[in-house]
Amino acid sequence: MKAVGARVPRYDGVAHATGRTEFVDDVRIPGTLWVKAFRSPVHSATMTNLDTSRAAAMKGVHVITWEDVPLLEYGHLSALGIPADEPLLAKDEVRYLGQPIAIVAAPSEEAAMAAVAAITADFQERPALFDVRKAFDADAPVIHQEGNWYTHFENEMDRRQIRKGNIDEAFDKADLIVQGVYRPAAIEHAPIETQVCQVVPEANGRLTIYSCTQALYFSMGVVAAHLQLPLNKLKVVGGTVGGGFGGKVDTATETMCALLAQKSGKPVKWRWTREEEFLCSSTRAPWHMEVADAVTKDGWILGRKMLTLHDSGAYSRFSPYGLTKHSFHHTGAYSIPNLEFNGYVVYTNRTPTTAMRGFGVTSVSFATETHMSRIALELGIDPFELRLKNANRIGDTSPNQIAYTDPSTVPTILAIADAVGHDLTSEYAGMTPAQRSGDLLPEHLVGQLGNPEAH
Amino acid sequence: MAVKTGRGFAAIEYPTGMNQNGDPSQAWIKVKPDGRIDVFAGTSDIGNGSKTIQSQIVAETIGVPYEWITYDNSNTDSSPVCTGTFASRATFVAGKAVEKAAENVRQKILEIAGKELEIDPADLEIIDGEVIAKGAPQKKISVPDVAAAATWGYGELLTGTGAQLKPYATIVEPETGKVDLPPHSAISYASCAAEVDVDEETGVVTVKRLWQCYDVGKSINPTLVEGQIEGGAVQGLGLGILENCYPYYPSVEHRGGQFGAYLVPGMEDLPQIDTLIIENPSADGPFGAKGIGEMANNAQPPAIATAVFDAVGVWVTELPITPEKVLRALQKKAAGADAPKRDGKTVIFDAELSVNAVGTGIAFGTAA
Repeated sequence: MKAVGARVPRYDGVAHATGRTEFVDDVRIPGTLWVKAFRSPVHSATMTNLDTSRAAAMKGVHVITWEDVPLLEYGHLSALGIPADEPLLAKDEVRYLGQPIAIVAAPSEEAAMAAVAAITADFQERPALFDVRKAFDADAPVIHQEGNWYTHFENEMDRRQIRKGNIDEAFDKADLIVQGVYRPAAIEHAPIETQVCQVVPEANGRLTIYSCTQALYFSMGVVAAHLQLPLNKLKVVGGTVGGGFGGKVDTATETMCALLAQKSGKPVKWRWTREEEFLCSSTRAPWHMEVADAVTKDGWILGRKMLTLHDSGAYSRFSPYGLTKHSFHHTGAYSIPNLEFNGYVVYTNRTPTTAMRGFGVTSVSFATETHMSRIALELGIDPFELRLKNANRIGDTSPNQIAYTDPSTVPTILAIADAVGHDLTSEYAGMTPAQRSGDLLPEHLVGQLGNPEAH
Repeated sequence: MAVKTGRGFAAIEYPTGMNQNGDPSQAWIKVKPDGRIDVFAGTSDIGNGSKTIQSQIVAETIGVPYEWITYDNSNTDSSPVCTGTFASRATFVAGKAVEKAAENVRQKILEIAGKELEIDPADLEIIDGEVIAKGAPQKKISVPDVAAAATWGYGELLTGTGAQLKPYATIVEPETGKVDLPPHSAISYASCAAEVDVDEETGVVTVKRLWQCYDVGKSINPTLVEGQIEGGAVQGLGLGILENCYPYYPSVEHRGGQFGAYLVPGMEDLPQIDTLIIENPSADGPFGAKGIGEMANNAQPPAIATAVFDAVGVWVTELPITPEKVLRALQKKAAGADAPKRDGKTVIFDAELSVNAVGTGIAFGTAA
């Protein structure tokens, strides 16, 4: 029997369907302490007089604050050399509602809640910023000392740029310039399994971390960095996740639980409530995108200018990665020879945003495909044929000048045209992704051709 | 007032594996004394089915039944590095690592079988759990017998390792975005058509039907591929017409803190979904596969937004397309205030949403 290509039963299907799969929350360790968080009650403030002494004096209660973290700031992208901007626990500034400040472990969930209620701090609240379009204003509230947008792209540039061809010439030559604004919303990952973690301090000094992470080794690296431990002191147990969609690439609970297990010498468990999952976990970013396309009346897209403001929330997390990926794909499935892209990772006082299914590209697909539909209507050109005409083909080059080797834009479009019964002229109905020539190689596309065999 | 029907279309692409690459996955495999196969990889299964897919790849590569595979991704002591389950890489990158490990195991099995059969291993193949001489199928030995011989006769452990890593593509010109290597390993493609009903009285958008075509490279398990595509379609529908953490953003009030106050699509929202699969193999993926897990929710929002325009003649480009937004757009249209601004050869849609209208510190556009 062939295994590849076969509809074999799902490896864990019966266990999932009959409730016998062991997820992190099913792990039962006697003597486990419950974990709860003292979180920022405001969107933006200077914090003073953090006092955990009453909580720490409660029977069986252990508390950690920023002072307990060996390496307070370690970013999601630190391994790539991108500077960290987020403390594991807030020190003297809070930048979003729900930001963790102090974490407690107590003998019961009720005792943990009582301990959190006994923690106090003073918050000197200040105006918060929520609209990325106002982040650049002279009178905008300042989110981070260094400013309201990320400034550490290569060569310390403060934005991601793409430049290709001659954009001014493209816009001069255009018969029509179509401009539009696209704004997809922040979205919850909404997994059935909320963030949950159990950490057990072992007799040999190791920590066993039961984790719902989507990335065992990534999360182990994050914990090891904050705790300044070699990897052999940690064992991450997981690999079976109750829904992630990108939100469980963030290491949301493991590090704090590891610190509490170390401090208390006891197993600890933190299971976020559904409300915490919705209000405190990171979200898909809302994006602000503006597109201006230079087009000809017979349907060629000569050039694209684009401005993207990626709402990162209070900290950058994976946002610089997401924006770079976004920029690399801002021409969608088409070959556009002249480009001017500027994108910013913008801080706001919202819950930090993070990876989610389609990270960086879901947004740009919405913007540029809706825009393509508008262009087709403005020009009075069939929307399938407009796309087929500009579809990337073998040898066309990407925004960063890499030749495509095997694009399937043409066959997938033709398949859907056929499925919905959309008639195409014979010129388009028989199209293949073969390298450009003849009518499909107008003068403006000659210069962008690359060598598909180059890599 | 009436319910109007409209259609919209979108075509998209999506990279497989981490952008700029540099994301390793590793695996190792051992063979039990009866020929059953233990796979160790560090890939989290987030419901995407990676345990199944990677087990299928190992079974196919070695040449044994799927049921012989035990797959262990449970911990970092026994499993090697996997960068993680994201970037549509669990099949494409991590699956390649287990394929390489399985190929090493296959070679070890062939070597022992060659000694037992006194035939050059190059003249042997493994089919459905049996090592068979090419062209002389009566000369054969079962994989269980090979494993037993290795364990008890030759004193050898049948094992194999594999790792997949495409080198990190550096941006060598930050001003232009030019890179020194391809920043993607394979690109997947998809197209989607949406049919919607829009109720002009209530503003409610109902997605009635989605036609979707994906190039998956190679469908390792068609049931799981269809599951990803249909599940993604529903998530894309949520993006298009339902979901919003901050319903009145940039106001942060009214944030839903429970499922009852945050609208994810339910069964009653499901449209008819027609799924078409194209297999244009990738150069780097296992058996030519590409990853399509993530892109599965990317094509519906633009197709739906266009279908709404086709139905009632208004563009809603702030997602989700809620009844309130549709009704406000219809009011604006009725008042004749919805036309794009035209200035020479420039057509400006959505001027009121632009940074030019809302902010003062940054500008965009070819005309004021």
